[in-house]
Amino acid sequence: MQRFRTSVMLCGGNGCTARGSLKIKNALEKELKEKGLDREITVVLTGCNGFCAQGPVMIVHPDDIFYKQVTVKDVPAIVDEHFIKGRPVERLMYRDPVKKQPIPAMKDIPFFSVQVLRALRNKGLIDPEKIEEYIGRDGYMAAAKALTEMRPEEIIAEIKRSGLRGRGGAGALTGLKWEICAKEESKEKYIVCNRSTLDIEPHSIVEGMIIAGRATGAGKGFIYTRASLPLIVRRFTIAVEKAREYGLLGANILDSGFAFDIEVFQASDEFVCGEETALLMSLESRRGMPKPKPPFPAVKGLWEMPTVINTVETLANVPQIILNGADWYRSVGTEKSPGTKVFTLSGPLHNNGLIEVPMGTPLKDIIYSIGGGLRKGREFKAAQVGGSTGGYIPESLLDLPVTYEDITKAGAIMGSGGIVVLSDLNCMVSSAKFTLEFSSDESCGKCTPCRIGTTVLKEMHKDICEGRGRESDIELMADLAVEMQDSSLCGLGQTAANPVLTAIRYFRAEYDEHIKEKWCKAGVCRELCTFYIDEEKCKACGACKRVCPKNAISGEKKVPHRIDQSLCIQCRSCYETCAFGSIRIGPRSMREEMMNLPDQGILSEIHAKQTAGEED
Amino acid sequence: MIELFINGKTIEAEPGTTILEAALRNNIYIPTMCYDKRLKPYGGCRLCVVEVEGQGKLLASCSTPVEEGMSVQTETPRVAKARKTVLELLLVHHPLDCPVCDKAGECDLQDLAFKYGPSQPRLLAVRKHAPERIDAPIVESNPNRCILCGKCVRVCSEHQGANAISIIGKGFNSKISPAFEETLDCEFCGQCIDACPVGALGAKPYRFRSRVWFMDEFPTLCPYCGCGCTTNVGIQEGRIMRARGKEGVGINDGNLCSKGRFGFDYIYAENRLRTPLIRKNGELTPASWQEALEEIIKGLESVKANDGPEAIGAVGSQRCTMEDNYMLQRFMREIIGTDNIDSAARLGYAKAESAMEKAFGSSLPISWNRPLHAEFILVLESDITSTLPVWGLNFIKARHNGARLVIADHKETKLARQSSQWLRIRPGSGEALLIGMMKVIIEEGLCDREKASLLEGYESLMTRLNESSQADIEQITGVSREEIRELAEAYAAAGNRLLAVTSNASENTKGTAIFLAAASLVLLMGDEPGSLQAPAEFSNTLGAWAVGVRPVSGGKDCTEMLYDPGAVKALYIMGENPLVTFPDVAQVERTLRGMEFLVVQDIFLTETAKLAHVVLPACSWGEKEGEFMAATGAVQSMPKLLPETGQSIPDWKIFRNMARLMNREMGFMRLEEIRASIKEILSAGRKKELKTSLPPLAPLQALAADPYYPLTLVTATILQHSGALSVLSKNLDSVVPDAFVQIHPQDALKHQIDDGAFVKVSSRKGEIFLKAMVSDEVMEGTVFTPLHFGHAKANILTELPVKGEMPRVMVRIEKA
Repeated sequence: MQRFRTSVMLCGGNGCTARGSLKIKNALEKELKEKGLDREITVVLTGCNGFCAQGPVMIVHPDDIFYKQVTVKDVPAIVDEHFIKGRPVERLMYRDPVKKQPIPAMKDIPFFSVQVLRALRNKGLIDPEKIEEYIGRDGYMAAAKALTEMRPEEIIAEIKRSGLRGRGGAGALTGLKWEICAKEESKEKYIVCNRSTLDIEPHSIVEGMIIAGRATGAGKGFIYTRASLPLIVRRFTIAVEKAREYGLLGANILDSGFAFDIEVFQASDEFVCGEETALLMSLESRRGMPKPKPPFPAVKGLWEMPTVINTVETLANVPQIILNGADWYRSVGTEKSPGTKVFTLSGPLHNNGLIEVPMGTPLKDIIYSIGGGLRKGREFKAAQVGGSTGGYIPESLLDLPVTYEDITKAGAIMGSGGIVVLSDLNCMVSSAKFTLEFSSDESCGKCTPCRIGTTVLKEMHKDICEGRGRESDIELMADLAVEMQDSSLCGLGQTAANPVLTAIRYFRAEYDEHIKEKWCKAGVCRELCTFYIDEEKCKACGACKRVCPKNAISGEKKVPHRIDQSLCIQCRSCYETCAFGSIRIGPRSMREEMMNLPDQGILSEIHAKQTAGEED
Repeated sequence: MIELFINGKTIEAEPGTTILEAALRNNIYIPTMCYDKRLKPYGGCRLCVVEVEGQGKLLASCSTPVEEGMSVQTETPRVAKARKTVLELLLVHHPLDCPVCDKAGECDLQDLAFKYGPSQPRLLAVRKHAPERIDAPIVESNPNRCILCGKCVRVCSEHQGANAISIIGKGFNSKISPAFEETLDCEFCGQCIDACPVGALGAKPYRFRSRVWFMDEFPTLCPYCGCGCTTNVGIQEGRIMRARGKEGVGINDGNLCSKGRFGFDYIYAENRLRTPLIRKNGELTPASWQEALEEIIKGLESVKANDGPEAIGAVGSQRCTMEDNYMLQRFMREIIGTDNIDSAARLGYAKAESAMEKAFGSSLPISWNRPLHAEFILVLESDITSTLPVWGLNFIKARHNGARLVIADHKETKLARQSSQWLRIRPGSGEALLIGMMKVIIEEGLCDREKASLLEGYESLMTRLNESSQADIEQITGVSREEIRELAEAYAAAGNRLLAVTSNASENTKGTAIFLAAASLVLLMGDEPGSLQAPAEFSNTLGAWAVGVRPVSGGKDCTEMLYDPGAVKALYIMGENPLVTFPDVAQVERTLRGMEFLVVQDIFLTETAKLAHVVLPACSWGEKEGEFMAATGAVQSMPKLLPETGQSIPDWKIFRNMARLMNREMGFMRLEEIRASIKEILSAGRKKELKTSLPPLAPLQALAADPYYPLTLVTATILQHSGALSVLSKNLDSVVPDAFVQIHPQDALKHQIDDGAFVKVSSRKGEIFLKAMVSDEVMEGTVFTPLHFGHAKANILTELPVKGEMPRVMVRIEKA
């Protein structure tokens, strides 16, 4: 095997690829060849690094130098300065958001240093399309151990002891699920990997599925992916092919007599197909709609056969547990929620991306240490935890440790593991409306509370955002939301009202302002705000005037600017542009008042007259 | 048994039952909208939620199985509130157009909103504005009223096996529709209409015609096939407005087919007979009952005087009541003194009857639930979901319950689509397939040979099996020997086996031989005779047979009376139209025209009636009281619901009156007396003991190719049309309005025939013109046509059975 002096780990995740990783790789390889370094330095396109906000990112080993936002133009500099002269390129390094100091090594960057990688342990380290690299990182060791040294009951016992909980959202005990399936007597059993949308090392999923198959006695697995994510489909397809080539799938795996194979299934983008019974219907090529449980899939699943459905993240944890033992797994996390949890962190933070932290990490640490806090000028308002049907966590609860129990208690869900941070620029009513637009679109339409409930809540929010809210609406919505949680068929309907309930619970004042004062203080609901300029604060710099798409702002140098309310379309551009905070947001009623004021033209005329008089 | 508590009451339930089922069985009410006992739990409407102790969430009782010690509360304030919310949500979009909705008065949403619903609407209305769909025949839909319980979709796919509609779209905008929102094109059974809890699906013939509270609803028997279903007719001012199935009523338990639900309107056909008619100067002219009956007596007496009573014959009816048929045969035997009595069952049910008589010593009625007990079902050349549509549902259900359903048929029938395996055998080769199976079973010792060898006729069966080579069987059936071997092995290995074969007069691919072979297989395997289910065709086929409408002491049967000119000189036909429904109809016409005296007693002026010397108007179904014996052997009675049309009177009364006019007494004045007499002969018939013997089988006939007539013509019943009645139903005609001939795409290509074009179909017997329907439902080299359209005269092409065997009808097709 060829040995290289230096390895460049260029991120080939979805985000970085979209921003040009492949072009950078080509340019880099060309440059290295020209400089005669291609035998000394290798470029590896890795799986998602996680630091998506700064993409495309690359890490140079063995120095562990981290470069962010690399472009093709930066390639000669990296090669000349770093690889030839040995001086890492400072301008491409990550900088501390506050001190502005460059941090050269990846391990020193807080985004990485606070994380504990288990499910994502290979992220950014290996080429996901090369099975050898996975094997080089202890890959398939766990499968070998499970197949040759352990009996199925022992595997299940170990997983049960580890306390691993399904990362699909509900947090069911994985070991228990396996045990139920293993106990069923059936000719056929299946392992299904749910929603491989996460850019995660594909071989760890394959390995996890082999172990699950061994434990339950299943002979066939399906990786359920979305056709709209070709990169992920491609990586899984290659992984399965390679594993088959290496004798890790197929008949008599590793001479253990165990046979298992995997099929990669490409489905459409239906949100509801994340629900396991709907997913199975979709896998059976039927309309994906949830079915009542029981029977649970572990008893009667795909084609009425016992089926274990685990998410990618759950399966990625399995090989680690088998290899290192349940005690090791329990060494991080909490008693009831052991291990780590992967989140996708987004919002107006300094650092966004795919992260993994021990269970029980306070939300604050995730947002402020890993996320680096909010960007300049923005204030934290809420974090929506659990994806589009997750609840909003307010600032007062930021000490909340992320565990299944605590998150649920606060009104949110673990769900997909999405954390979206909202700032002072967001209106909670309209954010809730947005989530309802999503869930009413994605409701399959089977059960009444979800199908009509989401639509009714959406329409009520629309009314409130457009100034037609009634004071009784808040109680009515809260009531309806509770009924939806109580009587919906599946998780979608049961959680769809979480944003509404938490928004009402923690941000009720905003609803009141919308309904009673007709005032959206964030300036998001166009019907409920009036943008005006605080003339005392206005420095008359003209910045707002330049961004106004409607030319509604008038004013000259040194003359405080003014917004013509008859032209203003409440696009908020001026508000976001003004560096002096002189653009203010008033309630809707101000608009009429402002319209009655003499306009800027007249004002300046008066001003001109006055000055003329003085001169005379 | 599991013990649980519902509302504090201790209840026992089988493991696996749901809370809802357990509650309903104990008369505890739980409201539902998406539940239907025929279907799998759906859990969609969420009205059936209940509180279970120790459970945080409310549980849907329709899909939660009972558990030991479970404590369920069905009507707590929390539950009532959840239900109220669901109803409130449904009323968000459901239009309040109850004043013009045909469902008003029997609408679940209306009733439940009254019980739980909001006194004042809290939520804003978000209405839908989809146009009504009235483009399809019979079934209309109003998507705005739909509450998406999905029952129609599931009844259609899970229960009916039709898969005509589905839910399309997502969330609030989901709707029920055929694929791609095309016009509904299905079998129009109307099961979806009855399943719909609101007015989203309706029957077009009933649209805006009545209100449910203006109608009186009566259960009565369906007049069509041998199932013996109960249909519930709604009557307003002496007219049937609609018919529907009702759960718990009749053997069909709420199921009906398109005929049972929509076919009743044939009684309102324009050509109903209103007065007796007598032929005067070659014209049929109205006459009084007195004149007509005297004319008949005169005519019959004169034939009797000249040629003796043997020169008089009678044809009974499989659609008239037991009483009607009983009186016909009593009149003929006692008053006239002839045994020349028969019915069209000679061409249909008699095939099965004679075979079973030979094999089991007696024919057997079908058992309604027999398919549900079988592990392996083999259906031979029988489109059961068309001939006995509601019984056919049990085959689909059996398949869903895990039975192996194998269909051997040349045509792609609904059961073939629902089957575990479809063997596409050549038309008329079912017998050969059975012989092939028996060969395998004997060769491989898959039956108890010792026991079988004790059966009478075993040796001759063995000889017969040895005579037929596997190669011949392959050639005749078109199925490879491996497939036959597999089939035979699987059949023999199964625990509970069932063979099902229908015996309709219109089916020209089956004769007595297939029933003989089927009975032999049953006996060979040592199965009970009920393992062969051969249903009778019409609503009273068995009844007519049982009361003696058939020659019993050497009299002439149908094939002689109607095909042998001069066999009888006078013929009395009751409720039958041989000029349409009998094969080789040209010969029938010649015979009838040669009659010295012909009497037709019917409800319509049929093609046959037009040749008669005297025509008598009879009351139709619904206008008279009477009993039918269904294919199951059950004798069921139906009430008189409607006023008689014109001067028509019940058939039985005509014979009574005629006898009295002849100053002869038959001993019956009232229906009750007739019934008592029928009961006596039925109980005498039942005493017959079963005996079993392997019947002799005729050698297989190899197929001879005919270059001039290259195609095999297959005729049979179709779902909407089964005989003389259905074609007079406007409702059924709106689905299938005209005769057609199904041609395989390859044959169509060969003969350059386009779909929908007119084709000339000719056989040795004659030629007719039909509309082409190019379809791969039929096999290449085969064309299919229904027989029941009088104007199409498809029976010109067909041939009379010879000794119970159906000659193959070879035809050719040409562009017309």
